[in-house]
Amino acid sequence: MSVKAEGPASTAKSRETLCAARLRRVAVNGGVFVLLLVCWIVAVRGFGLKSYILPLPGDVLKALWAGLAVPITDKTGFYLPLWVTLSNSALGFLLGSALGLLLGSLMAEFRPVETAIMPYAFALQSLPKVAIAPLIVIWFGFGNSSKIVIAATLTFFPMLVNSFTGLRATEPDRIDLMRTLSGTRLETYLLVKLPSAAPYIFAGLDMGAVYALLGTIVAEFLGAQAGMGVTITQLQAVSDVAGVFACLIVLGTTGILLHLGMRAIERRVVHWTERTRN
Amino acid sequence: MRTDGSAAAHAPNGPAQPLIVAQGVSRVYATVSGETVHALDRVDLRIADGEFVCLVGPSGCGKSTFLRLVAGLDPCDGGRLTLGGRPVLGPSSEVGVVFQTANLLPWFTVLANVSLPLRVGAGRGRAVDNGRIHELLTIAGIAEFANKYPYELSGGMQQRAAIVRALARDPKVLLMDEPFGALDALTRERLNVELLRIWQASRKTILLITHSIAESVFLADRVLVMSARPGRILREIPIHLPRPRTLDETPAHPDYVRLMTEIRGLLYGEAL
Repeated sequence: MSVKAEGPASTAKSRETLCAARLRRVAVNGGVFVLLLVCWIVAVRGFGLKSYILPLPGDVLKALWAGLAVPITDKTGFYLPLWVTLSNSALGFLLGSALGLLLGSLMAEFRPVETAIMPYAFALQSLPKVAIAPLIVIWFGFGNSSKIVIAATLTFFPMLVNSFTGLRATEPDRIDLMRTLSGTRLETYLLVKLPSAAPYIFAGLDMGAVYALLGTIVAEFLGAQAGMGVTITQLQAVSDVAGVFACLIVLGTTGILLHLGMRAIERRVVHWTERTRN
Repeated sequence: MRTDGSAAAHAPNGPAQPLIVAQGVSRVYATVSGETVHALDRVDLRIADGEFVCLVGPSGCGKSTFLRLVAGLDPCDGGRLTLGGRPVLGPSSEVGVVFQTANLLPWFTVLANVSLPLRVGAGRGRAVDNGRIHELLTIAGIAEFANKYPYELSGGMQQRAAIVRALARDPKVLLMDEPFGALDALTRERLNVELLRIWQASRKTILLITHSIAESVFLADRVLVMSARPGRILREIPIHLPRPRTLDETPAHPDYVRLMTEIRGLLYGEAL
């Protein structure tokens, strides 16, 4: 009896300590957040900062509420510009990652392609790519296409490098296996190399999603009809700093959600990596 | 059925046509520093159809190199290597390879892994015979794991799946490169018995590389002892221990220890 009772009791105890650890973490995180808010308020009040330099947290919250508590189609709300920005970055992301995967695959599979493209790929990789945004606006205008192209350019490079590296990192034994089965090049690529490279490719997609959003907003700063970048510059023009802060919170939250979404998809697709690690 | 090891087909120069013939096979490769290394030096051997041959030798003596040549993964740099009378020019459907690690693809289930040979290359287009695959899985004792992923299996179970995969195309020859080297001693002994059972049921020709002298004596019709690099066949030792061999009876056979001692003497003489 006593032995039987011991099992559940000890697991209950460990669950308790696990709960306590989680509670402690929440308390620490919450504490830091409150401390930051207090510092913020003290700084504004203590130094007598004007609201067009640094607004109070309450004002930011009000601006956020004003932007969110409206019908989705409202022109003054955040939804419309957010939709424009997200749809453009999504298209750019799809375009850039598809091209990056395609070229990365060709480079990994065919040495001549690698030799021909590698120097340019690395030279462009080390160029701060937002610097070419003005050029792209000249070529593609102030409409959606320039936003999509810039987002695609920023997504392209991490995808190219990651898919190339991942495909080349395929275990030689797995390639030998396909050789003993006289598998074709395409079969080896699809059944062995691509799944082997999947963790690398997902890391590239994760980076690419954030870069696409970044690229779109930079492009919108340079000139656009609508988008979060436009909303931010408009609010800046009227010194509505609380509004700018609210936009940043919206964009920050969007970025986090994109990252979490990508991680969730990765765990689904690349189910074997974490299990094998454990 | 095979009841002893002295059947005509097992004798090296018996009437049966040898399936694998190596005559003066050499293999040279260049290291990173530019030196040339003679991995294999004029290897001669013949393996009869249905024979179980073990290749033992010191580390780095070119055992795996030789296996890769037979598998058609690397070309010979000299000599003649034939399989069923035809020179080996590349991988063939007549050969199944079991690697040092199970080498299963972690993104496929066990069933998808073992039926891979029927879906790619020369096996493509043929209707996948699920009955046969299932029969092989049953023989290997892993039928209940067919829909599990490799990471849900123990090392021994994974290696069984690797053997089933190598048998999927019903090849004539099974090449095994230290297939049980990474397993614990108990699992290894169990799989040795299983492998003999599978061999006797499927009547394949097996060439198995091992570091373990005990394993080679337990399994083989004939043990080939290789020298240190450059690898040559030092001696071939026929193993006339009665079959079926079991973990209880075979090690107790008077010849068992004598054969082990003989092989060990050759290997240690080589190392000194």
